[in-house]
Amino acid sequence: MTDSRRTDAEFETEALRHLPEVARFARSLAGSDADADDLVQDTFLMAYRQWHQYERGTECRAWLFTICRNRFYRVRERAQRQVATEDPVLESLAAAELHRTAQESGLSDAFERREVRDAVHRAMAALPEVYREVAVLVDLHDQTYETVAAILQIPVGTVRSRLFRARRLLQGSLLAFAADAGLRVPGASASTRGPRS
Amino acid sequence: MMEMLDCDAVMRQVWDFLDGELPPERMQALEAHIAMCERCGGHVKFERSFKAALRAAREDGADSTELGARVLAALRREGFTDPRGV
Repeated sequence: MTDSRRTDAEFETEALRHLPEVARFARSLAGSDADADDLVQDTFLMAYRQWHQYERGTECRAWLFTICRNRFYRVRERAQRQVATEDPVLESLAAAELHRTAQESGLSDAFERREVRDAVHRAMAALPEVYREVAVLVDLHDQTYETVAAILQIPVGTVRSRLFRARRLLQGSLLAFAADAGLRVPGASASTRGPRS
Repeated sequence: MMEMLDCDAVMRQVWDFLDGELPPERMQALEAHIAMCERCGGHVKFERSFKAALRAAREDGADSTELGARVLAALRREGFTDPRGV
């Protein structure tokens, strides 16, 4: 087997097998399936061209996510990113308050309902990007805080605070959904509501 | 001796706990507190349900066969040789 064939075999084994996960990640970034498919193709082309830079033994999936995200922002020229609000103490207090409201609303029980799945999709899509990308990587792709920090090139503490904020916004959206769906939500205040879809 | 935590400390670390991001000793300390404390136990149960809802909403990956073929075609144009010879 020639060197290039060996490299291609390695690329297939290490990188191409992650195509479904990269596709899911791309869909969470891009607005449409067509854009996501373009992004996936672009990601794997770039990965193939830069395969010699991939550090063997590291997590290839995270490396692909990094390329995918970089390509997305480069193509979309989204260098001007939103500024996230990060205050762990305030987040913690807000989370406790939201939990009390959610308990009263019966939202915990509603989590298991089929229609909540669609509401989760809408709530996730409506999150500001800086929060969505962290939630997608941790909650949908099971990445550790440290890996997410490496992918997004931000400190682990920032991953943590953005993730907490993302989850609180998601819960706020789901509470609003529960109210709209006719579930009992007596105390849902505007401050706990997340972005509406 | 196991570290004792108060409710505020548990609240602040609940996501790190559920995400498995704490050192083993701290995980044990939170588990011990949650087992004893009804309020924190309820909170953890709620957040666990929420995490499960997010996981349940995870798309199981639409059929990526067509996309895979498209990516392979693009890679071949770059000189990639499919080891399976397809």
